[in-house]
Amino acid sequence: MSALLDGFAAVLTPENLLFAVIGVTVGTLVGVLPGIGPALTIALLLPLTFNLDSPTGALIMFAGIYAGAMYGGSTTSILLNTPGESASVATSIEGYQMARRGRARAALATAAIGSFVAGTISTVLLSVLAAPMARFAVMFRAADYFALAVLALVAVTALVGRSMVRGLLSLTLGLFLGLVGIDSLTGQARFTFGSVNLLDGVNIVVVIVGLFAIGETLHLASRPTDVPSTVAPLEPPRGFAWLTREDWRRSWRPWLRGTALGFPFGALPSGGAELPTFLSYTYESRRSPHRDEFGTGAIEGVAGPEAANNASFSGVLVPLLTLGIPTSATAAVMLAAFQIFNVQPGPDLFDEGGALVWALIASLYVGNVLLLLLNLPLIRLWVKVLRIPRPVLYASILVFATLGVYAVSGSVFQVLLAYAIGVAGFFMRRYDFPIAPVILGLILGPMMEEQFRRALSLSNGDFGVFVSRPLTVVLLSLAVLALVVPYAPRLLAHGRADRVPAKVTLGEDD
Amino acid sequence: MTALTHERPEGTVPPAAPGGRPLGPRITAAVVVLAGAGLLVRAIRDAAQSGVTVDGPRLAPLIVTGGWVVLAAAYTIQTWAGKYTEAERVERAPRASWLVPAGLLAALVGYALVLEYTVVGYVPATAAFFVAAARLLGDRPVRAVILRDVVVALGLSFAIYLAFTRFLDIQLPAGVLPL
Repeated sequence: MSALLDGFAAVLTPENLLFAVIGVTVGTLVGVLPGIGPALTIALLLPLTFNLDSPTGALIMFAGIYAGAMYGGSTTSILLNTPGESASVATSIEGYQMARRGRARAALATAAIGSFVAGTISTVLLSVLAAPMARFAVMFRAADYFALAVLALVAVTALVGRSMVRGLLSLTLGLFLGLVGIDSLTGQARFTFGSVNLLDGVNIVVVIVGLFAIGETLHLASRPTDVPSTVAPLEPPRGFAWLTREDWRRSWRPWLRGTALGFPFGALPSGGAELPTFLSYTYESRRSPHRDEFGTGAIEGVAGPEAANNASFSGVLVPLLTLGIPTSATAAVMLAAFQIFNVQPGPDLFDEGGALVWALIASLYVGNVLLLLLNLPLIRLWVKVLRIPRPVLYASILVFATLGVYAVSGSVFQVLLAYAIGVAGFFMRRYDFPIAPVILGLILGPMMEEQFRRALSLSNGDFGVFVSRPLTVVLLSLAVLALVVPYAPRLLAHGRADRVPAKVTLGEDD
Repeated sequence: MTALTHERPEGTVPPAAPGGRPLGPRITAAVVVLAGAGLLVRAIRDAAQSGVTVDGPRLAPLIVTGGWVVLAAAYTIQTWAGKYTEAERVERAPRASWLVPAGLLAALVGYALVLEYTVVGYVPATAAFFVAAARLLGDRPVRAVILRDVVVALGLSFAIYLAFTRFLDIQLPAGVLPL
C-alpha cells in the first residue's frame, strides 16, 4: 500500500501530469481515427517518448495513450459504426443504434463512465493482486515459463477468429518472424538470408505498423464503397446531464458485471478482450429487463461490453507485469515499449524497479480520471476528427505509418519490410486470417524457445523436465484443453452476434 | 487432425457462383505452401550444417517451418474441399478491386526510395506521396478536392518535419528545402 502511495507521489508531479495529459489527448486523437486500435496507436506514438529521459515519464505517457486509445475506439464504434478493434465490435452494435436514434451523448457517456468505473475497479484489483502474483511468479522455472507461453499462444489462436487452421497459420507466421535474426543463446544467425539488416531480428513496431496500418489501408482501398461514411449526429446538449436518472439506473449493473467478466478473462491467457466483451453483450441482451430494446439501441449493450473491454486490459497487465508474458497484441506492444527503456517486466521488476511498477499502476488511476475530465467535454473535437474525409485520413495514416517505422529504425530497409508485411496483412484480411496470433507469436515465440532450451540444457536433455512439476503439467494440460474445447464459449459469444446486421470490422486487435 | 480442420459453420452461404469458385484463396494457399517449403528447405540445410540438438538453435526453425508446411497443406485442402468460407464471399464482392491497393503499394515503395536515395527531402517527398495516395483513395477528381489535398499535404509534412526535428530530436532528411 505504501508502495502504491509512493507511486502516486511519483506520478503527481506537474511534469508527469503533463505527460499523462498529453498521452490521454494524443491517444484519444489517434484512437478516434477509424481503423486504428490501441496496439497501432501505441506503436505509432512510440517515437514521441524516445526523447524522454526518465522511464517513469514515458510509462505514464503510455498509460495515458492506452487509456485514450481505448476511449477513442469506443467513440468511433458508437458514432461511425466502425470498430477499430475486435474488442469494440460489441460496443458498436447497440452504441451505433443509440446514436442513430439521437442518443449519442448517452451512449458516449455510459461508455466513458463505464470505462472509468471498470478501469478504476480493475486497477484496484491489479494493485492488490500484482505483488502476491509476483511473489508466486518467483517460483516459476524455465519449464513453467515455456508451458505458460505455450498456453498463451494456443489460447489466443484457438479463441480468436473462425478457423483453427487459419489461426494456427497466422501463429506460424509470427513464430517464423520471431526466429529471424541472431539466436539469443548461441549467437548464430537464422533466416537472415545474408542481410545485415535482419541480424537484429524483425522489430515488433515494423510488424504492427505493417499488419495494422499498411495492411488495413490496402484492404480498405480494395473495397472502396464498403465503408459507412456517415457520422451519427450529436444531439444538442442538455446541460451537464449526459445520462438521465433512468440511464444511470440501467447502466450501473452492466458496468459492474462487465468488469467482473473483463478482469479475469484479461488476467488469464484467453485472447484479450474479445471474449469478455461478447460474453457481456450476450449476458445483457438475454438478462436485461429491456431485452426487447436490443438491436435498436439498448444502453445496457454499450455499458457492459465497454466496461468489460477496459477491465480486461488491467487484467492483461497482471501476467504482463508479473510474468513478462503478454497475452494480447496491445500488451505485446507495451512490452516492446518497456524494453526500449530497459524495463524488463517479470517478478524481478517488483524487487528491483518496484517504484516504476507502482508509478505505472498509479498512472493508470490518473489516466482514468483524466480521461473522464477531458474527453466528455471535448467530444465535439473528436466528432470533427471523425469527419475527416476518407482519402485524407488514410493518406495520413500511411504517412504516419512510414514515419513511425522510419523514426524508430532510421532505415529504409525496415520501411520496405513493413510494406512487405503490410501486403501479407492485406491478404490475411482479405482471406480472413486473424492478425493477433502473428503479433503474439513474434513476441512469445523467442521467449518460449529460450525457456524450452534453458529447461532442457539444465536437465541435460531430459524431456521429463516438462512433466516433473505439477505447475508445468497443469499449464500444459490447460493448453491442450484450450486447443480442444474452444468452441463452446465461442459459439455462445458469436451465435448471438449473428442476429444483428453484419458488421464491418475495420481492424482487429487483441 | 479433425480439430485442426474444423470450420465454424458459416452463417449464410451463397450458392456457387456461375463460372466456379474464385481462385484467390487457392492461389494464396499455393503461395503459402511454396513459401513454407522454401523456408523448410533452408531450415534443413542449416540444421544439416551445424547439427540439431534439443537445446540448440536449429530445432525451432525445423518445427516452425515444418508446422507451416503441414498447416498450409491443410489450408489448401480446405480451399479445394468445396467449403465456402468468409474469404470466398469477400472475393465474390463485385466491387473488390486490385488496382487501387497495387497503386498505393507502388506509391509507398516509390516514396520510401525517394526518401532514402534522393536529395528531395522529407517535406516534398511526403507532400507528393500524400497527394498521390489521396487521389488513389478518393473518387472525385474535382479541383477543390485536389486543392484541399495539396494544402493538407504541405501542412502535414511541414508540421511533422518541424515537430520531429525541433522537439523530438529525430532527424528527417532536410533535402532541397532550406529548413
